[in-house]
Amino acid sequence: MADLPLPPPDPQFVLRGTQSAVHALHFCGGAQGQGCPLLLSGSLRGLVHIWSLQTRRVVATLDGHGGQCVTWLQTLPQGPQLLSQGRDLKLCLWDLAEGRNTVVDSVHLESVGFCRGSILAGGQSRWMLAVPGSGSDEVQILEMPSKTSVCSLKPEAGTRPGMPMCLQLWQANSSPRPLLLAGYEDGSVALWDVSEQKVCSRIACHTEPVMGLDVDSQKARGVSGSAEKVLAVWSVDEQQALQVRRTHQLTNPGIADIKIRPDRKILATAGWDHRVRVFLWQTMKPLAVLAFHSATVHCVAFAADSLLAAGSGDHRISIWSLYPHT
Amino acid sequence: MAVFDTPEEAFGVLRPVCVQLTKAQTVENVAHLQAQLQAVSDSALQELQQYILFPLRFTLKTPGPKRERLIQSVVECITFVLSSTCVKEQELLQELFSELSACLYSPSSQKPAAVSEELKLAVIQGLSTLMHAAYGDIILSFYEPSVLPRLGFAVSLLLGLAEQEKSRQIKMAALKCLQVLLFQCDCQGHPRSWDELEQKQLGDLFASFLPGIATALTRVITGDFKQGHSIVVSSLKIFYETVSFIMADEQLTRVSEVQAKPAAEHRVAELMVHREASWVKNTGDKLTVLIKKITECVSVHPHWKVRLELIDLVEALLLKCSQSLVESAGPLLKALVSLLNDESPDVQAQCNKVLRRFADAKVVVGSRAFADILSENLHSLATSLPRLMNSQDDQGRVSTLSLLLGYLKLLGPKVNFVLNSVAHLQRLSKALIQVLELDVADIKIVEERRWNPEHLHTSPETPAAGQWTLIQRRYFRFFTDERVFLLLRQVCQLLGFYGDLYLLVDHFMELYRESVAYRKQAAMILNELVAGAAGLGVENLHEKHIKTSPEELREIVTSILEEYTSQENWYLVTCMEAEEVGEELMVKQSGLQALTSGAHTCQATSSPAFSKPGPTICSMNSNIWQICIQLEGIGHFAHALGKDFRLLLMSALYPVLEKAGDQTLLISQAATSAMMDICHACDYDSLQHLINQNSDYLVNGISLNLRHLSLHPHTPKVLEVMLQNSDASLLPLVADVVQDVLATLDQFYDKRATSFVSVLHALLAALAQWFPDAGDLREQSLGEEGSHLSQRPARLENGLDVTTAEGIEQFVLNYLKEKDVAEGNVSDFDNEEEEQSDPPEVDENDLGPHVEPPLPVQIQIATDVMERCIHLMSDKNLKIRLKVLDVLDLCVVVLQSHKNQLLPLAHRAWPSLVHRLTNDDPLAVLRAFKVLQTLGGECGDFLRSRFCKDVLPRLTGSLVSQAPVSARAGPVYSHTLAFKLQLAVLQGLGPLCERLDLGEGDLNKVADACLIYLSAKQPVKLQEAARSVFLHLMKVDPDSTWFLLNELYCPEEFTPPHPSLHPVQLRGATGPQNPYTANVLLLLQQLP
Repeated sequence: MADLPLPPPDPQFVLRGTQSAVHALHFCGGAQGQGCPLLLSGSLRGLVHIWSLQTRRVVATLDGHGGQCVTWLQTLPQGPQLLSQGRDLKLCLWDLAEGRNTVVDSVHLESVGFCRGSILAGGQSRWMLAVPGSGSDEVQILEMPSKTSVCSLKPEAGTRPGMPMCLQLWQANSSPRPLLLAGYEDGSVALWDVSEQKVCSRIACHTEPVMGLDVDSQKARGVSGSAEKVLAVWSVDEQQALQVRRTHQLTNPGIADIKIRPDRKILATAGWDHRVRVFLWQTMKPLAVLAFHSATVHCVAFAADSLLAAGSGDHRISIWSLYPHT
Repeated sequence: MAVFDTPEEAFGVLRPVCVQLTKAQTVENVAHLQAQLQAVSDSALQELQQYILFPLRFTLKTPGPKRERLIQSVVECITFVLSSTCVKEQELLQELFSELSACLYSPSSQKPAAVSEELKLAVIQGLSTLMHAAYGDIILSFYEPSVLPRLGFAVSLLLGLAEQEKSRQIKMAALKCLQVLLFQCDCQGHPRSWDELEQKQLGDLFASFLPGIATALTRVITGDFKQGHSIVVSSLKIFYETVSFIMADEQLTRVSEVQAKPAAEHRVAELMVHREASWVKNTGDKLTVLIKKITECVSVHPHWKVRLELIDLVEALLLKCSQSLVESAGPLLKALVSLLNDESPDVQAQCNKVLRRFADAKVVVGSRAFADILSENLHSLATSLPRLMNSQDDQGRVSTLSLLLGYLKLLGPKVNFVLNSVAHLQRLSKALIQVLELDVADIKIVEERRWNPEHLHTSPETPAAGQWTLIQRRYFRFFTDERVFLLLRQVCQLLGFYGDLYLLVDHFMELYRESVAYRKQAAMILNELVAGAAGLGVENLHEKHIKTSPEELREIVTSILEEYTSQENWYLVTCMEAEEVGEELMVKQSGLQALTSGAHTCQATSSPAFSKPGPTICSMNSNIWQICIQLEGIGHFAHALGKDFRLLLMSALYPVLEKAGDQTLLISQAATSAMMDICHACDYDSLQHLINQNSDYLVNGISLNLRHLSLHPHTPKVLEVMLQNSDASLLPLVADVVQDVLATLDQFYDKRATSFVSVLHALLAALAQWFPDAGDLREQSLGEEGSHLSQRPARLENGLDVTTAEGIEQFVLNYLKEKDVAEGNVSDFDNEEEEQSDPPEVDENDLGPHVEPPLPVQIQIATDVMERCIHLMSDKNLKIRLKVLDVLDLCVVVLQSHKNQLLPLAHRAWPSLVHRLTNDDPLAVLRAFKVLQTLGGECGDFLRSRFCKDVLPRLTGSLVSQAPVSARAGPVYSHTLAFKLQLAVLQGLGPLCERLDLGEGDLNKVADACLIYLSAKQPVKLQEAARSVFLHLMKVDPDSTWFLLNELYCPEEFTPPHPSLHPVQLRGATGPQNPYTANVLLLLQQLP
């Protein structure tokens, strides 16, 4: 028995019942006094399902995007509030406390693209939101919950990066200034200084549109994936200049989403080749190829514990328990 | 009745009689006196008491030999007087007491005098009456140290009588009297409550008699069972009342160390006992010996009242003398505990009452000493348990286990002291494990097979909740009595209830893992432990005990479940069928381990010479039982957790369902009952409800396991069971998993097609059932067709019946009309309507309102499945081919309303189907015919020409060419393949022709081919089948069939209905019989 290779890893369990492709996933830990941990999923048909990870069943369904694809889900650190972004040009803020599920606020969006928003919330009541702006290449920064527009980040006249494809607000350890990482249609990743509204640095690390990126704020290192076969790892130095550290070749092209685990040990990519790939974040050593889905994997998400969720076009969400951290 | 009310009157009457008696002491005179006394009132008698007693006492006291008869009558007379009067003087009481007891004194021996029984009885009655007649304050002063010798004499006298007399009456009287003397009489008005001082006084006094009383009574009690239960009961009563009075802790604590100077003369003082500590210790030790004797003897006494009294004894002694008799606590508790499961319900009830009282009074828990004693008892019992279980008979085992149970009940939460000691726990667990060893030699266990796959539907209809105690009958190596098993379960439940559950579960889990030899027993014990921990079946005697919390229990159950359902404990080899073993090959690696290590339990049957260790009956039986026990455990766990178990369903339901589809009867039964348990515990209405509500969990398990089919060969079965037990609401989930199934099937076409095909069958059967709209339509069209066919004969009949000119005219007109129709000149409205009504109706109903771009899920599934069927239809394995044909049939049914999908698929399936029809095993031919029939019903036009072109010629050809062979063949022919094929074709042709609505030419071909088989020379079965073909043909075209048959043999002459018509002569002459006569006649009879 020992001689046989280990059977390919299986998901711990699979959530079924969205009845359409899953485009957004977000874990909502039990730490917030909600009791059991939850998983939120957004579907192509515009529904947000709230799954109990204890019973593995839907506990509630939110319908707020008029049947249009839900592309991004994010809970706020201060209390049970959920942000959902849909392709109906709306960003809804839901109140989920005590079993409620009502839209308390919404932001009208200008862009019909697939670009997901990003937030920066340091635990205060005010938080920053980045969403694609009205111009095709703009990123809009809002202050929430007042919804006041802070600024609009527009690339310089000479460059033509195309539409922003993915956004990530972050704060480097060294300075309190909010930064924005944006991946563009032309395959470049730009680092914006939000307060000065200027590009600090830009690198062209892909030749195809950047589909997803995530950043490790402690090490000031990030990773991005695009429609091509390459993952790029880059870092931000003291002068806030982006530098490509390494690239990693994949067997099949197309990365739909990319996430670093909160403990910054591993990262996972959602592949158009129906696979989820897991890498060691430190060295980019490939650890596993999770083959379960029968359609494009659209999104991946990590829970605070070691759970990984992947949502796919085959209407399923697979939950994996990977290398539980010690 | 009293005649003389005043003392004066009475005196006047009694005086002469008394004087007479004093003068002449004869029986007659005494009798005379007694007769006169009858007429005296009680008050007068009281006045004259002394006077009347005088002559009587005088008679007794007169020295010299006396006749017994006289003494007896005197004693009786005294008794009579005393019964109606009071003794008010201390002196009189003392004297009378001595005088009466002296009547039985024999100076020569220690024993009571050898006098008549009547006299003994009279004296005993006298003494008893005397004590009752004594005034309250007098009696107390009677019991002084000075009276000790006299009292002692009377007591020993009475004990002697009770022990040695033969007459039961005397014995009882003596015991009764003894009770009176010792203030234990329960009659009213007898003083029974004393203040402390009086108690001490009496206690000191009686202490002198204690040894005598105790030993004598012990002899009585342990004497012959035949002496009558009432004597033993009274003796027991006196014994414990006496002992508990003298040895009462309450009294003894007040006894001072230094003996107070007794206010009595020296001689008497010597007899007095001082109850100081050392005396108590000594007496306690001696009593322990006696008590042990008594309890041992009495606890098996055949009469229940005696055993009931024993309980009172234990209660009295333990409650009152817990310190002084601490040494006896062991035997006393043992006696009590062993009566817990007495066969008499009264004894049981009393025993429980006493135990509860003990618990309330904290007799055991409150006292360290008792707890120690009990733990010690428990330990020694555990030590000897295996030996006892081996050597005893079932009755003995029952009592031994009752004892164990009782100890646990009494110890309650203190049982943990015992369990915390490793040695104790090991003893106990070893004993339990050994006793619970199952007998696995029975071959039936493996043999019994589940035949009916639909079994789940008809499974036990919702037995009342709380039936979790019902379990499968087991056969144990060491006992056969069900009661023994019941007791063992109770023991485990109690352990689970009071004991440290973590400790126990850990311990038994270790044993479970340690060896196959222990595994089943350990699992049984674990099941009961958990049930007990939840308080199921446990009667709590200790109110303060805190049960295991639900969270802890859930954690524990989860870990046990995990172990039970792990690969190596759940997937065991349970049958030998080649196919199954083949499937199981992959599992073998883990299964073999279990087998080889299990082999040692039954070396008799397992031969070590096998180079390749095949599963033995024993090991398979053992495996079957293990799975059953584990399933039963899951049921128990569900009950233990109640609705909390719902959370565990995501891991537990799948394995249970897997076993519900097992082929071994026992396993599938156990699984079904486990599911029923889950239903009850988790509040589901029915199995279907349970499966439906949790299908997401099941689907999860199925789809994940399909990924590793070689490791989980039973996965398709789960899906099968799930499909059989759910409804249409499941469709989205099913659709999801079906994709997995088909994808896996595509990978494993060669190896595992069997199980998949049966899943596909279940799937399509479910679809056909869930979406009956399609099915209904089919029924409907069938019905229409039927009526359409039956109309014509009816019309014909009308025409034939009428033999008038008009009738004939009408007939001819009808005939011409039909001929027109037959030739294609379609002008008949009726027929046109009938023929065309079918297809458009189908279209309207089904396609019309439901036309949607995406196909309904079930149609998509059916299409996908049919696609696979086309490939699988030519599988090497006949079984698979047959099953695939069934699936295909169902596919057609489901797809009937979607011709756009069905027709292309039918087109692709056709070549393979033709092959089945013309070139396969007879069984396959038959099934293929069935498919063809269904297909014919749905797409008749599409099929008719193909059938006539591709299939019919070959079939008729083979029938014709084979006919001479079968006509000549002997009886062995019916076993040949050729015969079976002929039969299959003949059986299939009839319905098909009807179904496909073949044209006349083709029908004639069929008829021609089959005619030969109507010959009596053909085997009977073929004749029958051929007849069936014609029966079907009759429905399609009765006229031509009639004609055809008559061509063969014409049973009657046809006389023309009208002289103007020519007589008809058919070819089948009426004349000589020919080989076809019998069958043709039969058929013509059935022709309407």
